[in-house]
Amino acid sequence: MAGTVVWTWRSQAAAIWILIRRAGNEIVRVPGAAIPGVLAPTIFFLGLTSVFGNLRLLPGFPDTESYASFLIPVSLLQGAGFTGAATGVNLARDIEQGWFDRLLACPAPRPAVLAGLVLSASLRALVPAAVLLAVAFLVGAEWPGLAGLVIALLLVMGMGMAAALWGTALAFKFRTQSAAPLMQAGMFILILCTTAYAPLDLLTGWLHTAAEINPVTDVLEAVRQGFVGEVSWADTWPGLVTMAGLVLLFGAFALRGMRKMTD
Amino acid sequence: MSALLANARVVAELGRRSVRQTARRPQLASPLVIFPTLLLAVQVGGAGRAVDLPQFPEVNGFLDFMLAGAMVQACLMAGNSGAIAFAIDMEMGFTDRLMAAPISRFAIVLGRLAGTAMLGAFLAVYFIALGLIFGAEIQEGVLGAIWIVVVVAGSAVAFGAIGVSIALRTGTASVVQGLFPLLFVILFLSNAFFPTNLLLEPSATVAEYNPLSFIVDGLREPIVAGFSATDSLAALASVAGFTALGLALCAAAIRARAMRGG
Amino acid sequence: MPAIETEALAREFEGGIKAVDGVDLEVAEGEIYGFLGPNGAGKTTTVRMLTTLLRPTDGRARVAGYDVVEEAPQVRRSIGVALQEAALDPLMTGRELILLQAALHAVPRDRATALASSLLEWVGLTRAADRRVGTYSGGMRRRLDLASALVHSPRVLFLDEPTTGLDPVSRQAIWREVENLNREGTTIFLTTQYLEEADQLADRVGIISAGRLVAEGTPAALKAQVGRPHLEVSLADEDGQHAEEVLARFGKPLPARDGKLLVQLEHGASEVAPVVRALDEAGLAVESLDLVQPTLDDVFVAKTGQHLEGDEDTGEQEALPEAEPAE
Repeated sequence: MAGTVVWTWRSQAAAIWILIRRAGNEIVRVPGAAIPGVLAPTIFFLGLTSVFGNLRLLPGFPDTESYASFLIPVSLLQGAGFTGAATGVNLARDIEQGWFDRLLACPAPRPAVLAGLVLSASLRALVPAAVLLAVAFLVGAEWPGLAGLVIALLLVMGMGMAAALWGTALAFKFRTQSAAPLMQAGMFILILCTTAYAPLDLLTGWLHTAAEINPVTDVLEAVRQGFVGEVSWADTWPGLVTMAGLVLLFGAFALRGMRKMTD
Repeated sequence: MSALLANARVVAELGRRSVRQTARRPQLASPLVIFPTLLLAVQVGGAGRAVDLPQFPEVNGFLDFMLAGAMVQACLMAGNSGAIAFAIDMEMGFTDRLMAAPISRFAIVLGRLAGTAMLGAFLAVYFIALGLIFGAEIQEGVLGAIWIVVVVAGSAVAFGAIGVSIALRTGTASVVQGLFPLLFVILFLSNAFFPTNLLLEPSATVAEYNPLSFIVDGLREPIVAGFSATDSLAALASVAGFTALGLALCAAAIRARAMRGG
Repeated sequence: MPAIETEALAREFEGGIKAVDGVDLEVAEGEIYGFLGPNGAGKTTTVRMLTTLLRPTDGRARVAGYDVVEEAPQVRRSIGVALQEAALDPLMTGRELILLQAALHAVPRDRATALASSLLEWVGLTRAADRRVGTYSGGMRRRLDLASALVHSPRVLFLDEPTTGLDPVSRQAIWREVENLNREGTTIFLTTQYLEEADQLADRVGIISAGRLVAEGTPAALKAQVGRPHLEVSLADEDGQHAEEVLARFGKPLPARDGKLLVQLEHGASEVAPVVRALDEAGLAVESLDLVQPTLDDVFVAKTGQHLEGDEDTGEQEALPEAEPAE
């Protein structure tokens, strides 16, 4: 009756996949669960487009027919950030309710468990993204071209994962759902302190400095390029590198946090 | 007369409780300060060059323009937050205990709103101080600042009354919490963040008639230009209108609860 | 090689709270070891350390031959765990949960599917297998939790209060399943606050109180240590003090319980008649009188001076849902 467990790439992938599917239950099996994650960024997108739409008339603004083209990348990233933060909140709930002990006590390698927890956020980030894009095109945003779209969605998925890792790291640290505002606020700040509202040269005061320093600005510009102009490798690679860096950084925090759960 | 005094005492006591709750758990109230401040900072930094647009009104700075919107946003959130706290009281059974006491049911609502008014006043003072620190000027001076505090506190009460009426109807905090996105819809459809004449349609048309816009103007004018009788009266009328609506809805909800027996 | 061994195992929390304060125990392979103690004694903390969910702050422990700190992954590969909270995802079906556990233990997919069906049948959940766990009763959840802990055929199974809060029928079902498992060779470490559970199931029992092991041995040997039966006397009127004086002539008074006076009879059951005569002569009207053979609670009282709480099903029982699905 004594059992042995052998871990191969295949068995790790199977464990990751089953955790992704479990996370998917949150929106597939709970009626209306997907709505808040879609509604909030959509409201902000439409609202900010109609409020600040005439900013595009300022000299120095990219030549675009609609402010929606300029703003949609921000909303795409916000949607991904919100989805990722929700992963952290769900994990905090799982920790509070004892479910997470099940994962801690299993022999699956910790990185595989973490991957299973956060990869679902990558995929789920595409749900608000799809809705936002549909709405954006309806209100006049420009088609970014296939390359622009692919780059944008890739970075949206990356943002979802980075946000999930951030939320997960906080969940391991605080082990309570009341850390939710911190999870959401972190992503919110990171995405807004960029060239979210206007190009770098038109930003004023502290925000100009912050956007220059904030690496997420590169991610935003990489997502935005197709919507407001031509896609180029020079505008793409900084975003990809930054995204990879964020994933690695937050991933390291999250992994460390998971290991400390048993302390 | 003694009944009035007794109820006034209840209102004061419940108001104190509400303020104490907020003070003892600042992490719950901090989003009311942090979120609007953050948005204000980002919007001023991000859209600040809007003052260069030809149709933009004459202002000392974009911050001066935006302060009113930040305050209105904060007091919408304060009203929502007070309503959530009221709903939680209902879920916990605390409201039932109050309703079983020999006090006016309305006093229970007013008590919560008294606390919300205090919160609104605090938020007004906070944003005035913040604005002054970062270079804004209140053209109407001290009188203007006092006026702003009064109107913001009143607005918090007005929005709180509507929120509490929803809490009374539904009895669940999560429903009230779910109204949060709606607050932003109303804000975006007003002149809270940009002048009406520079909004895109359909926001521009809606903003022109949105009572929230009148409140925003009533707060904005003393900062950027000085008192305007029309704007001030319109602001007061809006606050009064929202308050009356909210209180009427609360009264109806209280009656409905009494009929249901729960 | 013992299945579980600990040496001065301890866990201290913030504020100097010693939840476990130097526990030495050894569990042989194939044994059912009952870990008995009241709420807050340190049972769950001990289990969490042995299952690598919590690091000891002092001492050592080995499970299935591996150190719980230095070789934690190997420990996890060898153990099955069904914890007190029976934390199950209400959105998953029973079958999905077992498949998840299988994946988390690297059981190949094809084997996992067959295993899930047989485990669900074994715990009597075949008909509910494809229903969401959120619809299960408390007893069904515990059985599912047990089944999910077995998916990788662990060498050592940890059950943390597996029947707390269950009705007697569900409890018996779990007991049968535990006994079957043990017959097939699995070592079982069972924590419980129920005497009957430890008495019925365990080969050996360890009694923990305030973080320390106060007694260890087979149930029979432990009870024999205490030795003598005791009398439980309930009086018609409340002249407790006088009655205590009378009873004290016949043996050692024990802490009162449920309004009854207790005395450990020095010379055994033959003292019953003299006790009745003495109470009668003292003018004390007896409402009821029971001769009770030593129990594990007596052992606990002898070692700690207190009764075990949660004894005799006085704990909460979960209400069954109205339409209990037929199994």
